[in-house]
Amino acid sequence: MVLGENRNVAEQDSREINKKLQRLVETVDVANLLTEPLSRSIESLLRVSAAQIDCDEASVLVREGGEGNLRFLCAIGKVADQLLNILVPAGKGIAGFVYSSGQPMVISDVAEDESFYAEVDKKTGYSTQMILATPLNHGGEIIGVLEYVNRRGGPPFKPFTPEEMDRAAGFAEAIASLVDAYQSAKLFRDLGEQMLGETGSDTADVRKWLEQLRESPSHQAMMDLAVLVRDVASRGDSERNLAREVLESVLKYSSSNDDLFNA
Amino acid sequence: MLSNIDHNWRTRSGEGITVAIIDSGIDTTHPDLAGRVVESVEARLVEKRVVFESSESGDSAGHGTACAGIIARIAPDATFCSIKVLGAGGLGDGHAFLSGLEWAIKQKYKIINLSLGTTKPQFFAPLHDLLDRAYQAGCIVVAAANNLPQPSFPSVFSSSLISVIKSIETDPLNFGFQFGEIIELTAPGVNVRTAWPGGGYKSLTGNSFACPHIAGVIALLLESDPEMTPFHVKTALFEIARENLEQGVSN
Repeated sequence: MVLGENRNVAEQDSREINKKLQRLVETVDVANLLTEPLSRSIESLLRVSAAQIDCDEASVLVREGGEGNLRFLCAIGKVADQLLNILVPAGKGIAGFVYSSGQPMVISDVAEDESFYAEVDKKTGYSTQMILATPLNHGGEIIGVLEYVNRRGGPPFKPFTPEEMDRAAGFAEAIASLVDAYQSAKLFRDLGEQMLGETGSDTADVRKWLEQLRESPSHQAMMDLAVLVRDVASRGDSERNLAREVLESVLKYSSSNDDLFNA
Repeated sequence: MLSNIDHNWRTRSGEGITVAIIDSGIDTTHPDLAGRVVESVEARLVEKRVVFESSESGDSAGHGTACAGIIARIAPDATFCSIKVLGAGGLGDGHAFLSGLEWAIKQKYKIINLSLGTTKPQFFAPLHDLLDRAYQAGCIVVAAANNLPQPSFPSVFSSSLISVIKSIETDPLNFGFQFGEIIELTAPGVNVRTAWPGGGYKSLTGNSFACPHIAGVIALLLESDPEMTPFHVKTALFEIARENLEQGVSN
């Protein structure tokens, strides 16, 4: 009897763990679904803002770790892909200064600089001549830097104007909100993935279980629903409110009929 | 015109005046600045406390050198104290910046150039207290506005410091005073050609570069009357800006 009871408890524990893991995987997959459109939105806004500033090369830098280093989160232009691998050490260059000081600035003749930009240009093969850099501020906290480099067409470039600095600051406010949302969703996803990695000693088994779960019709249906909610929510306030009302009604209806459904 | 303002201030050179620059450090080997940086300190974290120790690390970002270069052109005989709070390894910017200001006030530097700011609400109260302490100690703090949609501290504290925003004016001595505005002073800050680490020069735009113009003018005013208080200095700046406007030379 005692052995049988123990087996029952063990089976129940295993079911509980499976259920928790399943929820965690669902959460991670939803977080993945959220980060992807956010990073696309950041890039789109970066393109729109760069066009407004008559510029083809722009980038968003965010903090990397707690030492004040920066990395490129998003970049557009000729050397965008190469930039994504470059780390800006704390306080280095205009981006480092703007990040640590919170002061926007324009530098009109970077070209002759023998220091940080020369190093970056050497790596990318690009010639940085002018930079407009403004901080990304979210909730009073500087979370990164928005940079525009050179103008469209060839040199000599017309210097960035104070009005363009103001325009960049406006774009920075919107981009900062997106970057913050992206970072939060990414943090959520990374934490979830880390937890999944720590669960279970046999990683091959966990991976197999994950594959099965992700291929299961119920998980797919859950992800389809998440995509639907995401798409509706991206259309505007009235759509978001309507979707929330509908979903809340369904939840209310489903809760009041729990006994009926469970019977 | 107030009677105690030196009418010949434009001909002064800032002799005998030291300006403290709280920034990214100063390149002490730049031809415009060599021999003029009388003290260089840097923020370091020792047992969870920010302390200031002698620094030989120069300028990591260029900004502090650029600010010193602007002051050096306006007040060619003024000297500098570099208080490096940016680019100093491993320090949170806000704490180092506040500690730098506190250090400068304790040393009783008469002119403190602060081309920096913070938007973190938790620094509002401590900065406010520090600025009051500066005012009472006779230290004149000149701060740059950040020109962003969010207010930055301390530039929005109008009572106990001098806040500056950039104008398109090109004559370095033609500044303006916008009484009633949160940021009261306007000074050249667009495509300002100034010193840059490594011995060269750069053209820079930003409120950061308007601020040292006013710090330089104050160095000229203090040369003729080193006893001027922050109140006297602000009044003198107001009077001179009004003259500039009347003469149609200011924007």
